[in-house]
Amino acid sequence: MPEQPDRDDPIVSRSMSAPLLAASLILVGTLAWALYDEFYGLRPWKPYQREFIRLYTRYLEKAIPEQAAAEQRVRESEAFQKLEQQFQAAEAAAAPRVSEIDREIRDLDRRISVLTDVFQLARGKIGALTYRAETASSQRGKEKLLEEIQRVKEGPFRARLPVPDGTVETINYTFDQLEEEYNRLKQRKASLIADRAVALEEATAWRRQRDAYLQEHLVGLTEQQMRGLGRGVQSFQIEIKQINVPDTQLVDRCESCHVGIREPVTLSRADMSGQAVFVTHPNKALLKIHDPDRFGCSPCHGGNGRATSSIEKAHGQYKHWLWPLSPMENVEAGCQQCHGRDIVLEHAEVLNHGKELFRLRGCIGCHRFEGFDDERERLQATRQYIQQLLAQRAESEREIERSIQLGDAAATNEEAQRHYAQAENLRVGISKLDAEAEQLRIQAASLLREEKRIGPNLKEVRVKLRRDWIPVWLENPHAWRPTTKMPRFRLRRDELEAIAAFIWQSGIEAKLPAQPPGNPTRGKELFETRGCLACHARGEGEDAGGGSFAANLSRVGEKTNYNYLVRWIHNPRERTRPYCSLEKRDLGPEDYARKGLPFVLDLEHSTCPNDGEELQVQSGTVMPSLRLTWEEARDLASYLMTQRRQNPPPYPKADYMDDPNLKEQGKFWVRHYGCAGCHEIAGLEEEGRIGTDLTTEGSKPIDRLDFALFTIPAQRQGWRTHKNFFERKLADPAFFDQGKIRPRTEQLKMPNPNVTPGEIRALTTFLMGSTEPAFPQSYFYRPTDQRRDIQEGWWIVAKYNCMGCHQVRIGKKSVLMTLAAYQTPEGKDQLPPPLIGAGARLNPEWMARFLENPALSATDLNRNGVRTYLRARMPTFNLSVGEIQKLVRFFQALSSQAQPYIPPKLAPLTDRERLMAEQLFTHPAAPCLKCHATGDPAHDRTAIAPNFLLVKERLKPGWTERWIIDPAGIIPGTAMPSGLFRREGGRWVFSGPLPAGVHGYPGDHAELLVRYMFQLSAEEQRRLSGRLAASAPARSAGVSANLVQSH
Amino acid sequence: MTTRKLLGSATILALVLLAACGGAEKPAEVAEKPAAEAPAGPPVDPATAATVTGKVVYKDGKPQPNRIRMDADAACAAMHGTPVFSHEVVVNDNGTLRYVFVYVKEGLDNRTFPTPKEPAVLDQRGCLYTPHVVGVQTNQDVKILNSDSTTHNIHPVPTNNREWNTSMPPGAEPLVKNFPREELLIPVKCNVHPWMKSYIGVLKHPFFAVTGIDGTFTLKGLPPGEYTIAAWQEKFGAVEQKVTVGPKETKTVDFTITPKAAGD
Repeated sequence: MPEQPDRDDPIVSRSMSAPLLAASLILVGTLAWALYDEFYGLRPWKPYQREFIRLYTRYLEKAIPEQAAAEQRVRESEAFQKLEQQFQAAEAAAAPRVSEIDREIRDLDRRISVLTDVFQLARGKIGALTYRAETASSQRGKEKLLEEIQRVKEGPFRARLPVPDGTVETINYTFDQLEEEYNRLKQRKASLIADRAVALEEATAWRRQRDAYLQEHLVGLTEQQMRGLGRGVQSFQIEIKQINVPDTQLVDRCESCHVGIREPVTLSRADMSGQAVFVTHPNKALLKIHDPDRFGCSPCHGGNGRATSSIEKAHGQYKHWLWPLSPMENVEAGCQQCHGRDIVLEHAEVLNHGKELFRLRGCIGCHRFEGFDDERERLQATRQYIQQLLAQRAESEREIERSIQLGDAAATNEEAQRHYAQAENLRVGISKLDAEAEQLRIQAASLLREEKRIGPNLKEVRVKLRRDWIPVWLENPHAWRPTTKMPRFRLRRDELEAIAAFIWQSGIEAKLPAQPPGNPTRGKELFETRGCLACHARGEGEDAGGGSFAANLSRVGEKTNYNYLVRWIHNPRERTRPYCSLEKRDLGPEDYARKGLPFVLDLEHSTCPNDGEELQVQSGTVMPSLRLTWEEARDLASYLMTQRRQNPPPYPKADYMDDPNLKEQGKFWVRHYGCAGCHEIAGLEEEGRIGTDLTTEGSKPIDRLDFALFTIPAQRQGWRTHKNFFERKLADPAFFDQGKIRPRTEQLKMPNPNVTPGEIRALTTFLMGSTEPAFPQSYFYRPTDQRRDIQEGWWIVAKYNCMGCHQVRIGKKSVLMTLAAYQTPEGKDQLPPPLIGAGARLNPEWMARFLENPALSATDLNRNGVRTYLRARMPTFNLSVGEIQKLVRFFQALSSQAQPYIPPKLAPLTDRERLMAEQLFTHPAAPCLKCHATGDPAHDRTAIAPNFLLVKERLKPGWTERWIIDPAGIIPGTAMPSGLFRREGGRWVFSGPLPAGVHGYPGDHAELLVRYMFQLSAEEQRRLSGRLAASAPARSAGVSANLVQSH
Repeated sequence: MTTRKLLGSATILALVLLAACGGAEKPAEVAEKPAAEAPAGPPVDPATAATVTGKVVYKDGKPQPNRIRMDADAACAAMHGTPVFSHEVVVNDNGTLRYVFVYVKEGLDNRTFPTPKEPAVLDQRGCLYTPHVVGVQTNQDVKILNSDSTTHNIHPVPTNNREWNTSMPPGAEPLVKNFPREELLIPVKCNVHPWMKSYIGVLKHPFFAVTGIDGTFTLKGLPPGEYTIAAWQEKFGAVEQKVTVGPKETKTVDFTITPKAAGD
């Protein structure tokens, strides 16, 4: 019976076609999807690369002929042709000799190649025999082999050497002959090659000059280089372009789409059909400093460098990436992470501006930020360290005692000696501690002097201000002075009144000496010429002119007491009473009287009569002393008192300010709003900062930035970002209080900083960049060499606004340089000297002395020490020792000068040289003493250059020589003329008619004059200037006082 | 492959199409062609050339000139037997102003003019510059002489041209310089002798003149057209007038300079 097929057998009973079809469809679909993903979905950069190849090829096709034409133009230029001809001529001249050498080399090469074979074969054979001899087991065998070596060396080795005429000669050599001949030929060839180079020396030099000329005069690449780029595009591989720095686990694939970013040509959007993604990096100089192979892209720009699947992912603009790409307007935020210690950074003007604002607008008064205005912290740390040293010293002294006792009681002499030696060593150790403590005390005194406040000292309000003006100011400082750095607090009327009352009542009561009125016309002239405008502006709105570093003075006459203003101008650092940080109070005359001391406070009398503590004897202002006389101070103050609006309405009476009941309440609010962050206020001198530390605010988790009621809408609308938080807060600090119901004391306190959109951008850039370190320390710019001196120095330069008067950076104008008064030829001559290259110019020791006392005199203070002819005054900044050290190091480092400076020894002048130098120096063709000051007041009235007697101490000889040869190359526009010397036979020769005595002098005239200047004595200069005066015709002698300068 | 991607497989076709159409977003092509160079104006036809002439009158009487004291350099003082007066404001006997630089300010459009081969001369003589005001064309040579027995340094202080400052000892070879850019006017000074001052006007065209002892000026060879003529004086600034000249026409344009009016 046939078996019944099983009805349940699925193979028989069911068709699997449908599921199989479905499965295979899915499989095919998946395959398609996988293929799609492989080629497009996950690799959106592929079409980018293809597009780039297309556009770049098109660009090059167009650019190469253009560039070739440009190159052709250079090649056709007269200068290039001249060089080309010189090269051709030199090459032609060398050609016979060169071809002769080449022929000989060719012949030699043929013989060498034959001989090499023969020689190497022979040497191999002998080498093998030698090895066998060395390793032979029996003495006999060894000797036998040695004999065989001798035999083999006899040869003959036959070489069939080619002869230049084409025939072949056969020579039999012994091994020694062979070796000798082989070496001889090789040497001959080397000497021929050297001869060839000598023969072509001139031609090579011309070729180099020709090529250099082409490079200098052709903008961009040469045609050949461009063609190289073209070939590069032809062989372009479509693949992930990746930067991988294993040390830091950095992987950046940005260049997979931004393919052109590092191309050596400049590709603009227009060049690439408007595709921004293909442009070259806009700042090639920046890329040179930050080699992308080491720094990648994302450390500076943000974004997720590994992501390649979409623009959003790669740019890090999605929820799970904490470091999104910086927007273009804040792109410099990326600099801050590594350059946090730089206050002035090349290529980062927006960031620089942000940092400057952070400091200058007083953000730092409330918000701590590492590295900014940390004198107080450092002072505390230094004081603690001194205490530790003292404790260590006391411990050492006790230890000495013990060692001596142990030594006295020791059983053996050896033991005693050991203990005594121990005591001795400790004593020497103490002397080291003493030296260290001394330095720390200097440092502490420096720090005390360096600590400045953003705002004025409010202890002086009673002597300085009109009482009723204060509430008007507090109400809205920006309404009264739109450019002020004082922010506007959102004060309730009762808070305002209480604060005003507290400030007024905590002011020092003192009676300033009554000053007679000055001459406002003379004061105006002083104001315009002494340099006040480098920091201060005057005039309101459109009419304002001057610097923005300090207050706009256009309304100062409406609020200030004249007597105080005179004192302030005479010495802004003067304070009515000194502050003792140990007693935490201001000292009065009574404190001094109790100890029988005169009530004198200056930097020489700065210790507390009660406890010897270093006192704060200066007001915490950066405003320097201009070393004016009291009369000049009165003139200036009288002028400033005229700076007021026409008939200002009287300020409302504010008698409540004298109500003692308001004082305590006022103190509460003053403390609440953190006024003491910027101002010195009685009883609140040691207050800390009330705001958030912003050092790493840029990477604070977004949840910790309080968007308050805006959290959800911001999230939904996509502006819950650091950038938006900072921007909104800066534009309106109360923004996130909207809708909140909170007690007064818990409302946002941050005052309105009165910043423009540009300033908001700068500050936001700075804050966005202020992040936790996301990269290893090795990336951070924390140099330990001279670059650190530069880094540190900028903080001082910025702190005192040196750039108000001086040009410090190449290409950056000082404030004075921008003022109308300094645009005329006469005005330009009155500009303070640029400080670019000052380190190469000035002896650092002299510079330190000058910075301390720019008058260069202990008694004659009302003058400039060097440029007596400048009306702008180099002020006395009362810099601390530490600041002077930093500034000197800064300028030396900027000019790459080694430290410490050891003046080079100059050869003393021989009698003949002295005579010659004197003749050149006083020659009518080089009337040095006509322009340079001599110290004779009648002469110096018309002098426009410094006194030569300063040269020896002040200048460096190398710089001085470079200066007299080409002054305009060092200071463009200088009054010192160029062309005093001309180059002749490898030396500089005076270009005027040579005095008789100098004829035949083989030395360098510029060098001779420099040595002369460095050895010039006062007596000699007097003699020379006397001689010049005597040579003048009698009728005009001694009347130079009448000189009229025609302006 | 993730579920998300599987689910998305339905959109494959659309995406493939999209990719085929160019895939990633591309901004529209930006055509940035440099603006075509404006064509040069027609050359001047001597047959139709017109002339503008006139004088510059000073409105404020005859001011007392400033005396120059050359005592600072005895060599300079010795060169003059009589007092020397500043050239800053010189009013001629007929009430006109000397040393006024009169030139065509507008109206020549894009005409170009050849650079004269003859150099302009600026001499240092008697510790003064002669002439006090000099006009040149761009790139025209300026030959600077020192006829004095003392050293001068010649130091133009331009705004748009390059600055230089060169020492010229007595008997120095003439210095030949030029100014490639138009500029009105470049002050020139000598740092050794602060009273020495000269002005160089640099123009792209030859239509300029400096008023002399009769206070007149003549601008010859002008193509017919409408012009703005400016008269510039170092102390009082510039005044302007418009004038239209036909072929071969001669028109008179007189300027009046008053210290007050010229201030603005």
